[in-house]
Amino acid sequence: MSTSIQNSPGSGTTAAPGRPIGELVFALLIVSIGIVGFVAGAGIQTPSSASDIGPRAFPYAVSALLVAVGTGLVIQVLRGHRGSADEGEDVDLEAKTDWLTVGKLAGFVLLHAFLIVPLGWPVAAAILFFGAAWSLGARPWWRNLVTAVILALVLQFVFGGLLGVSLPPGFLEGLGVFGG
Amino acid sequence: MCSVDSFFLLMEGFATAMQPIYLLFALGGVLVGTAVGVLPGIGPAMTVALLMPITYSLEPTAAIIVFAGIYYGGMYGGSTTSILLNTPGESSSIVTALEGNKMAKAGRGAAALATAAVGSFVAGTIATVLLSFLAPFVAAFAVQIGPVEYVALMVVAFLTVGALLGSSVLRGLASLGLGLFIALVGFDSLTAQQRYTFGSPFLADGIDVVLVAVALFAVGEALYVASRLRHGPIKVIPVTGGWTSWLRKEDLRRSWKPWLRGTFIGFPVGTIPAGGADVATFLSYATERKLAKGENKKQFGKGAIEGVAGPEAANNAAAAGVLVPLLTLGIPTTATAAMMLVAFQRYQIPVGPQLFESNSALVWALIASLYVGNLMLLVLNLPLVGIWVKILQIPRPYLYAGILVFAVLGAFSVNFTPIDVIILLVVGILGFFMRRFGYPIAPMVVGLILGPIFESQLRRSLAISQGDPMALVQSPVAATIYVVLIVIFALSFLLKRRQRQFEAMVAANADASDVVRGSVAPAEPTTTSTSTPTTDRKDNDR
Repeated sequence: MSTSIQNSPGSGTTAAPGRPIGELVFALLIVSIGIVGFVAGAGIQTPSSASDIGPRAFPYAVSALLVAVGTGLVIQVLRGHRGSADEGEDVDLEAKTDWLTVGKLAGFVLLHAFLIVPLGWPVAAAILFFGAAWSLGARPWWRNLVTAVILALVLQFVFGGLLGVSLPPGFLEGLGVFGG
Repeated sequence: MCSVDSFFLLMEGFATAMQPIYLLFALGGVLVGTAVGVLPGIGPAMTVALLMPITYSLEPTAAIIVFAGIYYGGMYGGSTTSILLNTPGESSSIVTALEGNKMAKAGRGAAALATAAVGSFVAGTIATVLLSFLAPFVAAFAVQIGPVEYVALMVVAFLTVGALLGSSVLRGLASLGLGLFIALVGFDSLTAQQRYTFGSPFLADGIDVVLVAVALFAVGEALYVASRLRHGPIKVIPVTGGWTSWLRKEDLRRSWKPWLRGTFIGFPVGTIPAGGADVATFLSYATERKLAKGENKKQFGKGAIEGVAGPEAANNAAAAGVLVPLLTLGIPTTATAAMMLVAFQRYQIPVGPQLFESNSALVWALIASLYVGNLMLLVLNLPLVGIWVKILQIPRPYLYAGILVFAVLGAFSVNFTPIDVIILLVVGILGFFMRRFGYPIAPMVVGLILGPIFESQLRRSLAISQGDPMALVQSPVAATIYVVLIVIFALSFLLKRRQRQFEAMVAANADASDVVRGSVAPAEPTTTSTSTPTTDRKDNDR
């Protein structure tokens, strides 16, 4: 019954097939952030009157940390030590990565950012919830829609109306309870 | 003298915390906290980050009481999930899952829930008492230290948080470095020079801490879970019987010592930055396993009540211990503590050694509310377990869609500009890849929050010494701190290694016992064969 393909315990890093390139790129990204930190850090103006180490030293130290740690990680990954992916109750580590759903979710968040101003927060939020729930596989669509609208209105009422957070109410403008 | 003073201050704190309006806020906090503790994919750190907008309209005491309630509530809720849900859970309650889940499957779920709840209450209360008496002493010491010693303390915090809050030291340090880097973007506070803004006006004011935290916790988590969503029905193990009969005399007899031992293991471990609740629960579990005798010992790995009682108590005691460095030194050692520090900053309350003097009414009201919150949690958790089980069954698409909506709400309300929602998405994608490649999130958040404080203290120290870096280690107190750092570091490292070896052993045993059980009763549905105790550590709170 034990169909477990549990990763080798104790190492903190594990061998998982099929994703060395992404991990290598991420480690290289850390190195390059450090390099950018050095290059852009050289452009930080330092007032000559500064009595202390000035605004450049700490950025250099952080950049050095990133380059050093990033290089170490690149070596680790090349030697076959991979990071162990995060676990969670809802995470099926044996499932194949569902890039399409990730893309859809990211797309709906981006869409939301562009809709807040023209349509108001409640409409933009309802569209985000509806889209995200649909992307994650919730059916039927009308129940998603009802949930989305109720959630958006409740949040607008609680945060915009009661707590005074200035969320643009959109078409609800003029109804005092939704703030504005 | 000091303790008499603090006793009166604590009484004043109670006078504040017992006002009906604050009781209501505490109740709201613990309810929300328990709910998010129960819910997978969302934890107290994320919740405090998401609820940061309330700091705009609530007065400081109310908001801090809400956040403290969320913090304690999250600890209670987590155990319900790990006992009743058929999948491995958050790391600080993983040992609870080990024994508790087995107990639940054997029909003893009620006893596991009860010993966890009562143990959490006992530990939480004792640990809060310890906090009330220890914190003023530490604070009295802390106000005497200068920037040099403060720098030393923060180096300790950085290294332990970076190196210990994850499975891989390098990944933890990389995460810390990314946090420090993002914190650098914007105007330098001392010379008003722009750093890493690349000429963009949006970056000139820096990237808001809350924005980054919400992005990493909420958006990163939602995207990551979406990439590997566990499909199919959510299997919750049913609990039978009225809650009053849950803890039998026999259970109580076996539980009370582990509760106390767990408390006194958890509190000190929480106080020193040694990896938070995670290490505390493991230590308690190992202790109980070692101390158990005869028939009880054989139950370990198959549902021993001591293995739930001890770690759950240690978990809550550690949570209180974490508040000691937070309130007395302004040094957060977990992600949730870091978010509470942000809440203080939002109110322009200076966090650090002077907090106990400058805002003593607030601090003592907070501590008093912890006592109250603990009692509320005990009362809420036992009779209301049915409600928490319902929450556990929220359809996952709605749960993660809801998390996204809260995230964009939090992001937008930082500056009321949609640009922040786009930054939220970008940092969220970073968080997604960090989870995917095993980088812990908590060090990044701690680095982000402590980085600016660290830099200004470092530069103050060096300005005093006219640029001589040796001054950083020449103060006797600072030198002592560095020596203690090395000792703590070495110890924690050994501890981590032992923890991994131990878990590997336990995992092997659990697998073996599963196989044995499986061969005896082959008809049993075997949906959880892969849910062996995890060896992959992750952030102990999200």
